[in-house]
Amino acid sequence: MSYLCLENVVKTFNKTEVVKKMNLEIKKGELVSFLGPSGCGKTTTLNMIAGFLDVDGGSIVVDGKPVHLLPPNKREMGMVFQNYALFPHMTVFDNVAYGLKLRKVPKSEINQRVLEALEMVRLSGYEKRYPKELSGGQQQRVSLARALVIKPKVLLLDEPLSNLDAKLRQEMREEIVDIQKKVGITTIFVTHDQEEALAISDRIAVMYEGRIEQVDTPVAIYNHPQTDFVSRFIGEVNQIQGHVVETFSGNQCKVSFDGYHQVLSCPGTKDTLIDFYLRPEKIQIYQEHSEGLRVRVERKMFLGAKTRYILQLKDQQFIADISNTVLNPDQIIEGQDVLAVWNPEELLATKK
Amino acid sequence: MQAELEMNQEQDIQFKQMKKKKSKKRLDSWLLLLPALSIFLFFFLLPLVFLFITSFKNFDAATGIGHDWTLQNYAKFITDQFYLGVLWRTVKIALITTLAAVVISYPVAYQITKVRGRMKNYLTLLVLSPLLISMVIRCYGWVILLSNNGVVNNALMKLGLIDKPLTLLYTEFSVVIGMVHVLFPYMVLSIMGSLERIDPSIIRASQNLGAGPIRTFFSVILPLTLPGIFAGSVMVFSLAVSSFVTPAILGGPQVKVMSFLTYEQVSTILNWPFGSAIGFLLIFIATITIIIYSKLLTKSEKGVAIQ
Repeated sequence: MSYLCLENVVKTFNKTEVVKKMNLEIKKGELVSFLGPSGCGKTTTLNMIAGFLDVDGGSIVVDGKPVHLLPPNKREMGMVFQNYALFPHMTVFDNVAYGLKLRKVPKSEINQRVLEALEMVRLSGYEKRYPKELSGGQQQRVSLARALVIKPKVLLLDEPLSNLDAKLRQEMREEIVDIQKKVGITTIFVTHDQEEALAISDRIAVMYEGRIEQVDTPVAIYNHPQTDFVSRFIGEVNQIQGHVVETFSGNQCKVSFDGYHQVLSCPGTKDTLIDFYLRPEKIQIYQEHSEGLRVRVERKMFLGAKTRYILQLKDQQFIADISNTVLNPDQIIEGQDVLAVWNPEELLATKK
Repeated sequence: MQAELEMNQEQDIQFKQMKKKKSKKRLDSWLLLLPALSIFLFFFLLPLVFLFITSFKNFDAATGIGHDWTLQNYAKFITDQFYLGVLWRTVKIALITTLAAVVISYPVAYQITKVRGRMKNYLTLLVLSPLLISMVIRCYGWVILLSNNGVVNNALMKLGLIDKPLTLLYTEFSVVIGMVHVLFPYMVLSIMGSLERIDPSIIRASQNLGAGPIRTFFSVILPLTLPGIFAGSVMVFSLAVSSFVTPAILGGPQVKVMSFLTYEQVSTILNWPFGSAIGFLLIFIATITIIIYSKLLTKSEKGVAIQ
């Protein structure tokens, strides 16, 4: 049974549909990321769920009740903003207590709940400070405490980590997931950072040009992208063209990649060309091997744990990321010919 | 637990270092203020010092300013009911003008900040329009409207609401109206400035936490615009308390104010020491009022945050 439902939600700005008949079901306690490039409609959708924007069609249902006609202050949603949006004229305590005071919670209970919330985000002792006396990370944690203390039905996070530096961003995202799991709150996390989305989500909704391209677990999104856009947007891919030499029963084909023959399952007809995607870390290179695609190493870049090899095949370039424990980069010289090898199951057929 | 504490401390330290750097830069910016500061010094502060000195001299019918030191000028003012009455009236008119300007300007400023694009420029120009007309002409415009057989009285009588004309002109009321008219642009601009500085997501955060529009206004928007209200009030109050043309035309001799008294003493009676004392008292009272006003405004908002 889904807890939060978007049914055919539409948003139009100046006659342009920025969100097109969007459907999504989120289970209770689930953390779903909206991932997509800027302008894909993810923030617009979040703002419609929060009530800051009206829907131009469709409905939003929370816990069985439609909420899309309610004003934002009646929706019982906790939101964490990209720029924290703390009230600058209130102390940390008053910021967190704001929502409780509006709900006419008794004073002693407010006190207790605010202190608990601040402890949860590890900011005990900061009650009397003003937002401007806190660092970005601390401000964002206050913002999280302020959103959670009212026990909202849904937690909405609008790119909450994008203003933090890289190290803090990683710490904060782990913290957010920890708290989210502990509280068990249904959460929508908007981000344009795919690593972030892959790391924290139960499911990811990849959005592009106002529609959801695919909703799936991070593993499924990465390994089994359903659309062209998802293949290209999540992770890095090489595009590679194969020539179908032979077809067998059960959608099996023999495909030639410039002489490197592989049998794989794909719907192809004989003597046609098919485009595939291949992730850089799925390619292995050998100086000598029984088979493989002969390519030249244009450049190699040492990246710490792995090395990135730029491989040249005729006028086409591939990248291969290989762990330095598997292949010592010193063995490969720029300009030398090598054999690139991959498991046929790792090829992602493109969807046109 | 230890690690968290260290993390918090580390962030604190970084933050403090950032602040230190900022204060160092502030020193250089004083140099940039030098030209303005020197003009202020020679053409404002220095004359003020002379004014102060003159106010302690005796009056000499032959030369104007005498040679002896005296407190007579101030004593004369403080002990005379008439002069005290003028002082009280001046401050009262300025205060009412300021309050009226706040009340009238806030909704205007609020609305203008909501509008986007070209319309915003037009509305701003409209607000500034009183400043584009000469003070004297604008005041005579009000005379035409408010006099005994002026537009307002005629209209009211035609409608049968009153039998004989109301005394609108040459009252404190007409002075306040004239002053609000010319001074409210300052207030609108000042409040607009602080409204525009409010991050829209702060208002969204308030709604998101359960506050309706009215509650959001009083808990978030109004407190965050207090600095703008204060700045506007200081401007309007100081201009109102020292204004001369508007009370002279719309108030006449019946509604005497401090600037008029000063003018009388300096130009007609030629008692420069007493004129200086009146002028100085006006500055003194205006400053005190502004200080009290700022205390009242910020009392409830400790650490008013100017973002």
